[in-house]
Amino acid sequence: MRFQAMANVTSRWVKGDGPEAEVVFSCRVRLARNLEDFPFPLWAEESKLKGVSEKVINAIEKSKYLKNAHIIDMAELSSTERRFLLERHLISVEFTKGGKYRFLTTEKEEMLSLMINEEDHLRLQTIFSGLQLTEAWRLIDRVDDELEERLDYAFLPRYGYLTACPTNTGTGMRASCMLHLPALVAVRKINDILKGISQLGLVARGLYGEGTEAQGEFFQVSNQLTLGLKEEEIIDQVERVTHQVVEQEKRAREALLKRNVIQIKNEVGRAYGILTGAHLISSQETLELLSKLRLGIGLKLLPGFNIQILNELFFLITPAQLQIREGRELTSLSRDQLRAKLIREKLSKVR
Amino acid sequence: MLCQVCKKREANVHFKEIIGGEVRELHLCDICAKEKGWGESFFPGFSLPELMLGLTKLEIPPSLEKGPQCSGCGISYEEIIKKGKLGCSLCYQNFREYLDPLLEKIHGKVYHSGKIPKEGRKEDKLDRKVYELRKKLEEAVRKEEYEKAAQFRDELRELEKGGRR
Repeated sequence: MRFQAMANVTSRWVKGDGPEAEVVFSCRVRLARNLEDFPFPLWAEESKLKGVSEKVINAIEKSKYLKNAHIIDMAELSSTERRFLLERHLISVEFTKGGKYRFLTTEKEEMLSLMINEEDHLRLQTIFSGLQLTEAWRLIDRVDDELEERLDYAFLPRYGYLTACPTNTGTGMRASCMLHLPALVAVRKINDILKGISQLGLVARGLYGEGTEAQGEFFQVSNQLTLGLKEEEIIDQVERVTHQVVEQEKRAREALLKRNVIQIKNEVGRAYGILTGAHLISSQETLELLSKLRLGIGLKLLPGFNIQILNELFFLITPAQLQIREGRELTSLSRDQLRAKLIREKLSKVR
Repeated sequence: MLCQVCKKREANVHFKEIIGGEVRELHLCDICAKEKGWGESFFPGFSLPELMLGLTKLEIPPSLEKGPQCSGCGISYEEIIKKGKLGCSLCYQNFREYLDPLLEKIHGKVYHSGKIPKEGRKEDKLDRKVYELRKKLEEAVRKEEYEKAAQFRDELRELEKGGRR
């Protein structure tokens, strides 16, 4: 199995050292770019996909930012290996289908990566810890400028960067933040907040309902529009709105503590108890309990803990990460066992 | 409630998206959710918007059924609408009359004001300047600031002369 070395370290952005990291898990900027004179990947024959990938890889090899990056051929990977990259947020669901002449490029710390021949010829992304959208934009802007010196991007003054989907036309940019908002969910203010976000022209997304409670405390905020606004204006808007949501979440956390500190301590303490005592645990249950511990850290109920350990656990316990680390396919039962062992080890180091 | 993808199994993964005050929901069963990559990882990540878009239906103008094909990729506008994806960069020029209203519906505006490739064509940069001056001119006229308007008009003429040279 590939990626074993990679599986032993978490991506740089998981470390949780960015500003507002207790609420903002991560932020991401992606740019969609296409080459002139080649059909978009969905409609392109193999020879055209090959042509695109050669041009892009050639540009990457001369890039200051990407010259030492891994270039991964999606066609050579097993489904677990693809899933591993998906769990690390390096590729999209679409890209897990693989196919000829589709490549992923990622630098060692996984903050900067590029998919070749996804929906667009190039999908460049930067991910940072916490709320650092401006920094993420500055980096991606420089890499984009550098690649553009060697590639002829499809561009028209009227429409900007031309993309396969009209929802990306213009800047080709999507800026998003992944937020952990357990207190706003608990005080039942989340729906009003999400509506408010959407009325400001942004998109709010999340999962909810039975079976997805843990994921139900994570939300994504991103820009909806890509045409007619400057990149800096979009970044600024998403960043400002995110700041406001962070403030609301912090206030809800304080309110929660004031209202019923014993109940909160009870939930956090029980979550810790199960996580440190379990010998079999599903990823679903783990996520739910980790989400509670994460809130506990935010409320300063868990001295000695930091966000980094938890953020890492969120990533280490997913099925493909476990299997790649072990170097073999595992049954669901042995994954549950391995997961429980890993959690016990990691958490015992803290106290 | 049945899964919206397979329409067979019970839906137990629920996704909500709110845009412009409008709520869109998606309900899937475990199996279909896993196929979409939402399975066991703690958050479905950044691929969701694309998934939702795939479910958005675009309308085909009646005049376009079996309509013209793009000179670049040979794909018809009907096919583009069906898949929700354009064929190549030339589609933007060949189907401009249909794309403009579509882009306006999606973005509210149809003129790019972001980044321009640094090594790109000189005409592109000139085009941007002309566009920005036109906007300033309209604004000045609207505010009845005629002196400013005259200045912008002269600058525009100068630019357009330069462009033809």
